[in-house]
Amino acid sequence: MAAYALLRSMSSSFSSVLPLLSRSGSLSPAPLAVKPLFRRTLASSSRFSAALKFTDKHEWVRVEDDGIIGTVGISNFAQEALGDVVYCGLPEVGTQLAQQDEFGALESVKAASELYSPLTGEVVEVNSLLADKPGLVNKSCYKDGWLMKMTIAKPAELDSLMDEAAYERYIRSIED
Amino acid sequence: MQGSRPLVRVVRLGLVSYQEGLRLQQVYVDRHRSGPAHSLLLCEHPPVYTTGIRHQPYPASRLDPLRLLGAEVHRANRGGLITFHGPGQLVCYPVLDLSGFRKSVRWYVAQLEKTVVSACGSLGVTATTSPHTGVWVGDNKICAMGIHCGRYVTSHGLALNCNTDLSWFSHIVPCGIEGKGVTSLSRELRRDVSVHEATPHLLAAFGEHFHCELSEDA
Repeated sequence: MAAYALLRSMSSSFSSVLPLLSRSGSLSPAPLAVKPLFRRTLASSSRFSAALKFTDKHEWVRVEDDGIIGTVGISNFAQEALGDVVYCGLPEVGTQLAQQDEFGALESVKAASELYSPLTGEVVEVNSLLADKPGLVNKSCYKDGWLMKMTIAKPAELDSLMDEAAYERYIRSIED
Repeated sequence: MQGSRPLVRVVRLGLVSYQEGLRLQQVYVDRHRSGPAHSLLLCEHPPVYTTGIRHQPYPASRLDPLRLLGAEVHRANRGGLITFHGPGQLVCYPVLDLSGFRKSVRWYVAQLEKTVVSACGSLGVTATTSPHTGVWVGDNKICAMGIHCGRYVTSHGLALNCNTDLSWFSHIVPCGIEGKGVTSLSRELRRDVSVHEATPHLLAAFGEHFHCELSEDA
């Protein structure tokens, strides 16, 4: 993480990066290979990829580029099982959540269904579009229908969640 | 689901306050922690108006006048907007673990609607569903619905007007739907139909639509 921060704070010009790389003992000894790939290499390590991780209660979390914030929503399986969402009861910004804490509820077909936090962290943003357009949860559950953004206090918790392939298998096992 | 049919225990609570009904539902919800414990709570409430998780349409200034009518007022964590419960209305709270049925709240609510339509049918009332959740006779609602689901365990449920005093509904826009009315089994059949008479029809229909065995404690 320290090397990454060092790179970010340097100018983006390659020529100014090179001499710094050769001086610092903690960076890669192959600066040409490192060049703009360094940032991408870190970004593609599993914990910080843009891939979705899923809970067994059909919430998903997507770690954003900085690795500090996770965006949370519900899966396609969940939105179909709910029916048309007419109301989203979401938490206040600043709410502290532990993994699996109830963080809100979605209302559909006169049913209020609870939502469970995929991770431990603090709510930093709530999707304000959902107040007027709760149906976005059905129409665009992975994109515009996101529910909240939270900090990732315990990144190791991501390892306890399912990746997309595992979640697909889980869905199939439920449907049988 | 293959294998044996799920067992659902019928629990007759009689006339209980809404608050007591909430407390008992929680008791039965908690039982699911140690394994399947499906139950069907049946009761009647003294006059009470309740609202759901959507608080905004019902500030205190709108709810307080209802208390002056002699009814209680409660907020509940169920779906649906404002409704009335009172004597002569069959209130049914299925506390099911949907893992034992189908893990879909949308399916569950649809099955509850079908249950009530069948029960009305067996009593001689032709009822229907509509885009508005609940069960209707034309433009009049005969049964309200509003449920809660957490970790697949359901609570709250339905309220079927048997010989309810329907004038209680005139003080609210039931379920927030303007331009529609309410009715009851007694009004539709032009004779007194009690909760006692309607209950076996509801239970039979529930067993049929949820493919379950109903048991009663001795």
